[in-house]
Amino acid sequence: MHNSELFFNNLPLFVPLMFLELGLLIAALISLYRRQTVRHGNRLIWTLAIVFIQPFGAIAYFIFGREVD
Amino acid sequence: MSAILTFWHKEWLAAWRNYHILILAVIFVIFGIEAPLMAKLMPDLMKLALGDQFSIKLPQSTSSDSWQQFYKNTSQIGIFLLALVFSGTVSQEVSSGTLVNLITKGLPRYAVIIAKYLAAVVQWVVAIGVSFIITWGYTAYYFPDDKSPHVWLAIWPVLLFGLFFVAVVLLGSTVVNSNYAGFLVAALVFASLALLNYVKAVKRWNPIALVTDNLDLVRGTEKITHILPACGVTVAAALVILGVTIWTFNQKRL
Repeated sequence: MHNSELFFNNLPLFVPLMFLELGLLIAALISLYRRQTVRHGNRLIWTLAIVFIQPFGAIAYFIFGREVD
Repeated sequence: MSAILTFWHKEWLAAWRNYHILILAVIFVIFGIEAPLMAKLMPDLMKLALGDQFSIKLPQSTSSDSWQQFYKNTSQIGIFLLALVFSGTVSQEVSSGTLVNLITKGLPRYAVIIAKYLAAVVQWVVAIGVSFIITWGYTAYYFPDDKSPHVWLAIWPVLLFGLFFVAVVLLGSTVVNSNYAGFLVAALVFASLALLNYVKAVKRWNPIALVTDNLDLVRGTEKITHILPACGVTVAAALVILGVTIWTFNQKRL
Protein backbone atom coordinates (compact mmCIF):
# COMPACT_ATOMS: atom_id res chain seq x y z
CA MET A 1 0.00 0.00 0.00
CA HIS A 2 1.55 3.27 -1.13
CA ASN A 3 0.56 6.85 -0.52
CA SER A 4 -0.50 7.35 -4.13
CA GLU A 5 -2.72 4.29 -3.89
CA LEU A 6 -4.42 5.76 -0.82
CA PHE A 7 -4.97 8.95 -2.76
CA PHE A 8 -6.40 7.40 -5.90
CA ASN A 9 -8.67 5.06 -3.97
CA ASN A 10 -10.33 8.05 -2.32
CA LEU A 11 -10.57 10.56 -5.15
CA PRO A 12 -14.23 11.51 -4.50
CA LEU A 13 -13.10 12.71 -1.07
CA PHE A 14 -9.74 14.27 -1.96
CA VAL A 15 -10.71 16.19 -5.08
CA PRO A 16 -13.33 18.48 -3.49
CA LEU A 17 -10.97 19.08 -0.54
CA MET A 18 -8.20 20.18 -2.90
CA PHE A 19 -10.49 22.55 -4.80
CA LEU A 20 -11.75 24.10 -1.55
CA GLU A 21 -8.29 24.67 -0.12
CA LEU A 22 -7.02 26.04 -3.44
CA GLY A 23 -10.01 28.41 -3.68
CA LEU A 24 -9.46 29.64 -0.15
CA LEU A 25 -5.74 30.12 -0.82
CA ILE A 26 -6.41 32.21 -3.93
CA ALA A 27 -9.11 34.30 -2.22
CA ALA A 28 -6.80 35.01 0.72
CA LEU A 29 -3.84 35.96 -1.49
CA ILE A 30 -5.98 38.27 -3.65
CA SER A 31 -7.35 39.95 -0.54
CA LEU A 32 -3.84 40.26 0.93
CA TYR A 33 -2.24 41.84 -2.14
CA ARG A 34 -5.11 44.23 -2.85
CA ARG A 35 -4.43 46.01 0.43
CA GLN A 36 -1.36 47.99 1.37
CA THR A 37 -1.33 47.05 5.04
CA VAL A 38 -2.17 44.19 7.36
CA ARG A 39 -3.22 44.27 11.02
CA HIS A 40 -0.58 42.03 12.57
CA GLY A 41 2.82 41.14 11.18
CA ASN A 42 3.62 41.91 7.56
CA ARG A 43 2.61 40.70 4.12
CA LEU A 44 5.48 38.24 3.77
CA ILE A 45 4.56 36.44 7.01
CA TRP A 46 0.91 36.23 6.00
CA THR A 47 1.82 34.97 2.52
CA LEU A 48 3.88 32.17 4.04
CA ALA A 49 1.12 31.33 6.53
CA ILE A 50 -1.57 31.26 3.82
CA VAL A 51 0.47 29.09 1.46
CA PHE A 52 2.01 26.65 3.92
CA ILE A 53 -0.50 26.25 6.75
CA GLN A 54 -3.62 25.12 4.96
CA PRO A 55 -6.42 25.81 5.49
CA PHE A 56 -5.90 27.56 8.83
CA GLY A 57 -3.38 30.12 7.60
CA ALA A 58 -5.96 31.62 5.25
CA ILE A 59 -8.67 31.53 7.93
CA ALA A 60 -6.34 33.21 10.42
CA TYR A 61 -5.52 35.86 7.82
CA PHE A 62 -9.20 36.65 7.21
CA ILE A 63 -9.97 36.85 10.93
CA PHE A 64 -6.81 38.43 12.38
CA GLY A 65 -4.68 39.81 9.57
CA ARG A 66 -7.01 41.45 7.09
CA GLU A 67 -7.13 45.23 7.35
CA VAL A 68 -10.79 46.21 7.77
CA ASP A 69 -11.80 48.79 5.17
CA MET B 1 -40.01 44.70 13.27
CA SER B 2 -38.98 46.64 10.17
CA ALA B 3 -36.06 48.07 12.14
CA ILE B 4 -34.85 44.54 12.88
CA LEU B 5 -35.26 43.64 9.22
CA THR B 6 -33.25 46.65 8.07
CA PHE B 7 -30.39 45.85 10.40
CA TRP B 8 -30.63 42.16 9.49
CA HIS B 9 -29.93 43.04 5.84
CA LYS B 10 -26.97 45.15 6.90
CA GLU B 11 -25.64 42.25 8.98
CA TRP B 12 -25.65 39.87 6.01
CA LEU B 13 -23.95 42.41 3.81
CA ALA B 14 -21.27 42.84 6.46
CA ALA B 15 -20.87 39.07 6.86
CA TRP B 16 -20.33 38.79 3.12
CA ARG B 17 -17.89 41.71 2.87
CA ASN B 18 -15.86 40.54 5.87
CA TYR B 19 -15.43 37.14 4.19
CA HIS B 20 -17.22 35.51 7.15
CA ILE B 21 -19.59 33.63 4.88
CA LEU B 22 -16.68 32.41 2.73
CA ILE B 23 -14.71 31.24 5.79
CA LEU B 24 -17.66 29.39 7.29
CA ALA B 25 -18.66 27.81 3.98
CA VAL B 26 -15.18 26.51 3.19
CA ILE B 27 -14.35 25.27 6.68
CA PHE B 28 -17.63 23.52 7.30
CA VAL B 29 -17.63 21.85 3.88
CA ILE B 30 -14.07 20.68 4.63
CA PHE B 31 -15.24 19.30 7.99
CA GLY B 32 -18.10 17.56 6.25
CA ILE B 33 -15.72 15.78 3.87
CA GLU B 34 -12.97 15.18 6.39
CA ALA B 35 -15.03 13.05 8.78
CA PRO B 36 -15.77 10.18 6.37
CA LEU B 37 -12.30 10.59 4.83
CA MET B 38 -10.55 10.07 8.17
CA ALA B 39 -12.78 7.11 8.96
CA LYS B 40 -11.98 5.58 5.60
CA LEU B 41 -8.22 6.19 5.79
CA MET B 42 -7.73 5.11 9.41
CA PRO B 43 -7.16 1.37 8.78
CA ASP B 44 -4.76 2.13 5.89
CA LEU B 45 -2.88 4.76 7.89
CA MET B 46 -2.50 2.32 10.76
CA LYS B 47 -1.13 -0.25 8.32
CA LEU B 48 1.36 2.27 6.91
CA ALA B 49 2.44 3.30 10.39
CA LEU B 50 2.82 -0.22 11.78
CA GLY B 51 4.44 -1.68 8.68
CA ASP B 52 4.09 -5.21 7.39
CA GLN B 53 5.73 -6.98 10.30
CA PHE B 54 2.53 -6.73 12.29
CA SER B 55 0.05 -9.14 10.86
CA ILE B 56 -2.69 -8.27 13.32
CA LYS B 57 -6.09 -7.86 11.78
CA LEU B 58 -7.27 -4.26 12.07
CA PRO B 59 -10.99 -3.72 12.43
CA GLN B 60 -12.74 -2.15 9.45
CA SER B 61 -14.10 1.37 9.91
CA THR B 62 -17.82 1.79 10.35
CA SER B 63 -20.29 4.63 9.94
CA SER B 64 -19.95 5.20 13.67
CA ASP B 65 -16.24 6.14 13.21
CA SER B 66 -17.23 8.68 10.61
CA TRP B 67 -19.78 10.27 12.96
CA GLN B 68 -17.31 10.19 15.82
CA GLN B 69 -14.91 12.26 13.70
CA PHE B 70 -17.72 14.59 12.65
CA TYR B 71 -18.84 15.38 16.20
CA LYS B 72 -15.25 15.70 17.38
CA ASN B 73 -14.54 18.30 14.67
CA THR B 74 -17.78 20.14 15.28
CA SER B 75 -17.67 20.32 19.06
CA GLN B 76 -13.92 20.88 19.44
CA ILE B 77 -13.14 23.21 16.53
CA GLY B 78 -16.33 24.09 14.64
CA ILE B 79 -18.30 25.85 17.34
CA PHE B 80 -15.23 27.80 18.47
CA LEU B 81 -14.55 28.93 14.93
CA LEU B 82 -18.13 30.20 14.79
CA ALA B 83 -17.56 32.00 18.10
CA LEU B 84 -14.37 33.54 16.70
CA VAL B 85 -16.13 34.75 13.57
CA PHE B 86 -18.97 36.36 15.58
CA SER B 87 -16.60 37.59 18.28
CA GLY B 88 -16.24 41.28 17.37
CA THR B 89 -19.80 41.71 16.18
CA VAL B 90 -20.84 44.38 18.70
CA SER B 91 -17.49 45.62 20.03
CA GLN B 92 -16.12 46.34 16.56
CA GLU B 93 -19.09 48.54 15.66
CA VAL B 94 -18.95 50.33 18.99
CA SER B 95 -15.22 51.06 18.66
CA SER B 96 -15.51 52.26 15.07
CA GLY B 97 -18.62 54.31 15.83
CA THR B 98 -20.69 52.96 12.95
CA LEU B 99 -23.80 52.55 15.12
CA VAL B 100 -24.01 56.16 16.35
CA ASN B 101 -25.60 57.47 13.17
CA LEU B 102 -28.19 54.71 12.93
CA ILE B 103 -29.22 54.97 16.57
CA THR B 104 -29.51 58.75 16.65
CA LYS B 105 -31.69 58.46 13.55
CA GLY B 106 -34.11 56.29 15.49
CA LEU B 107 -33.00 52.68 15.11
CA PRO B 108 -34.02 51.04 18.41
CA ARG B 109 -31.08 49.54 20.28
CA TYR B 110 -32.78 46.20 20.83
CA ALA B 111 -33.12 45.85 17.04
CA VAL B 112 -29.32 45.86 16.71
CA ILE B 113 -28.88 43.00 19.18
CA ILE B 114 -31.83 40.93 17.95
CA ALA B 115 -30.83 41.25 14.28
CA LYS B 116 -27.22 40.34 15.08
CA TYR B 117 -28.39 37.38 17.17
CA LEU B 118 -30.73 36.03 14.51
CA ALA B 119 -28.18 36.45 11.71
CA ALA B 120 -25.54 34.63 13.75
CA VAL B 121 -27.91 31.81 14.71
CA VAL B 122 -28.88 31.32 11.05
CA GLN B 123 -25.18 31.20 10.06
CA TRP B 124 -24.62 28.62 12.83
CA VAL B 125 -27.49 26.42 11.67
CA VAL B 126 -26.55 26.62 7.98
CA ALA B 127 -22.82 26.01 8.59
CA ILE B 128 -23.37 22.97 10.78
CA GLY B 129 -26.30 21.78 8.65
CA VAL B 130 -24.23 21.86 5.46
CA SER B 131 -21.34 19.94 6.96
CA PHE B 132 -23.78 17.46 8.48
CA ILE B 133 -25.46 16.76 5.14
CA ILE B 134 -22.11 16.26 3.39
CA THR B 135 -20.92 13.82 6.07
CA TRP B 136 -24.28 12.07 5.92
CA GLY B 137 -24.04 11.62 2.14
CA TYR B 138 -20.48 10.25 2.11
CA THR B 139 -21.10 8.09 5.19
CA ALA B 140 -24.22 6.54 3.71
CA TYR B 141 -22.24 5.80 0.52
CA TYR B 142 -19.01 4.46 2.02
CA PHE B 143 -20.30 2.83 5.22
CA PRO B 144 -23.75 1.38 4.53
CA ASP B 145 -24.01 -0.42 7.88
CA ASP B 146 -26.42 -0.34 10.80
CA LYS B 147 -23.95 1.02 13.37
CA SER B 148 -25.54 4.50 13.49
CA PRO B 149 -29.31 4.23 13.46
CA HIS B 150 -30.19 7.71 14.80
CA VAL B 151 -28.15 9.99 12.56
CA TRP B 152 -30.90 12.57 12.03
CA LEU B 153 -31.76 12.79 15.70
CA ALA B 154 -28.26 13.51 17.01
CA ILE B 155 -27.66 16.73 15.08
CA TRP B 156 -30.57 18.68 16.61
CA PRO B 157 -28.93 19.25 20.00
CA VAL B 158 -25.89 20.85 18.29
CA LEU B 159 -28.14 23.26 16.42
CA LEU B 160 -30.03 24.05 19.62
CA PHE B 161 -26.78 24.66 21.47
CA GLY B 162 -26.18 27.49 18.99
CA LEU B 163 -29.04 29.49 20.53
CA PHE B 164 -27.14 29.50 23.81
CA PHE B 165 -23.57 29.81 22.55
CA VAL B 166 -24.28 32.68 20.15
CA ALA B 167 -26.04 34.56 22.97
CA VAL B 168 -22.94 34.15 25.16
CA VAL B 169 -20.65 35.44 22.39
CA LEU B 170 -22.93 38.43 21.85
CA LEU B 171 -23.00 39.21 25.58
CA GLY B 172 -19.20 39.06 25.78
CA SER B 173 -18.89 41.30 22.75
CA THR B 174 -21.33 43.81 24.26
CA VAL B 175 -19.88 43.93 27.78
CA VAL B 176 -16.18 44.15 26.88
CA ASN B 177 -14.86 46.54 24.23
CA SER B 178 -12.41 44.15 22.64
CA ASN B 179 -12.70 42.28 19.37
CA TYR B 180 -11.81 38.96 20.93
CA ALA B 181 -13.92 39.34 24.09
CA GLY B 182 -16.91 37.52 22.61
CA PHE B 183 -14.78 34.52 21.79
CA LEU B 184 -12.91 34.51 25.11
CA VAL B 185 -16.09 34.78 27.18
CA ALA B 186 -17.67 31.96 25.18
CA ALA B 187 -14.57 29.77 25.61
CA LEU B 188 -14.57 30.51 29.34
CA VAL B 189 -18.25 29.62 29.67
CA PHE B 190 -17.67 26.42 27.70
CA ALA B 191 -14.75 25.45 29.93
CA SER B 192 -16.80 26.14 33.07
CA LEU B 193 -19.64 23.97 31.80
CA ALA B 194 -17.13 21.21 31.01
CA LEU B 195 -15.82 21.40 34.59
CA LEU B 196 -19.36 21.44 35.93
CA ASN B 197 -19.92 18.15 34.16
CA TYR B 198 -17.81 16.42 36.82
CA VAL B 199 -20.67 17.02 39.27
CA LYS B 200 -22.88 14.03 38.60
CA ALA B 201 -26.10 15.60 39.87
CA VAL B 202 -26.14 18.40 37.26
CA LYS B 203 -25.00 16.33 34.27
CA ARG B 204 -28.46 15.90 32.79
CA TRP B 205 -29.14 19.63 33.13
CA ASN B 206 -25.85 20.84 31.72
CA PRO B 207 -26.16 22.51 28.28
CA ILE B 208 -22.81 20.99 27.29
CA ALA B 209 -24.55 17.61 26.98
CA LEU B 210 -25.98 18.93 23.70
CA VAL B 211 -22.55 18.82 22.07
CA THR B 212 -20.95 15.93 23.96
CA ASP B 213 -23.59 13.18 23.93
CA ASN B 214 -24.18 13.14 20.17
CA LEU B 215 -22.25 9.99 19.38
CA ASP B 216 -24.26 8.04 21.97
CA LEU B 217 -27.41 9.42 20.40
CA VAL B 218 -26.25 8.33 16.92
CA ARG B 219 -25.42 4.83 18.12
CA GLY B 220 -28.66 4.58 20.02
CA THR B 221 -26.93 3.93 23.35
CA GLU B 222 -28.59 7.04 24.76
CA LYS B 223 -32.14 8.24 24.24
CA ILE B 224 -32.88 11.87 23.37
CA THR B 225 -35.18 12.07 26.42
CA HIS B 226 -32.04 11.74 28.56
CA ILE B 227 -30.85 15.21 27.54
CA LEU B 228 -34.25 16.92 27.40
CA PRO B 229 -33.61 18.71 30.74
CA ALA B 230 -30.34 20.05 29.32
CA CYS B 231 -32.22 21.23 26.20
CA GLY B 232 -34.68 23.12 28.43
CA VAL B 233 -31.87 24.76 30.41
CA THR B 234 -30.12 25.71 27.15
CA VAL B 235 -33.14 27.49 25.69
CA ALA B 236 -33.99 29.23 28.98
CA ALA B 237 -30.38 30.34 29.48
CA ALA B 238 -30.24 31.62 25.89
CA LEU B 239 -33.31 33.81 26.46
CA VAL B 240 -32.00 35.17 29.77
CA ILE B 241 -28.55 35.93 28.30
CA LEU B 242 -30.13 37.62 25.28
CA GLY B 243 -32.23 39.75 27.65
CA VAL B 244 -29.16 40.71 29.68
CA THR B 245 -27.33 41.58 26.46
CA ILE B 246 -30.11 43.92 25.32
CA TRP B 247 -30.22 45.52 28.77
CA THR B 248 -26.42 46.00 28.79
CA PHE B 249 -26.45 47.45 25.29
CA ASN B 250 -29.20 49.90 26.33
CA GLN B 251 -26.94 51.25 29.09
CA LYS B 252 -23.86 51.43 26.91
CA ARG B 253 -22.32 54.67 25.69
CA LEU B 254 -21.76 54.49 21.96
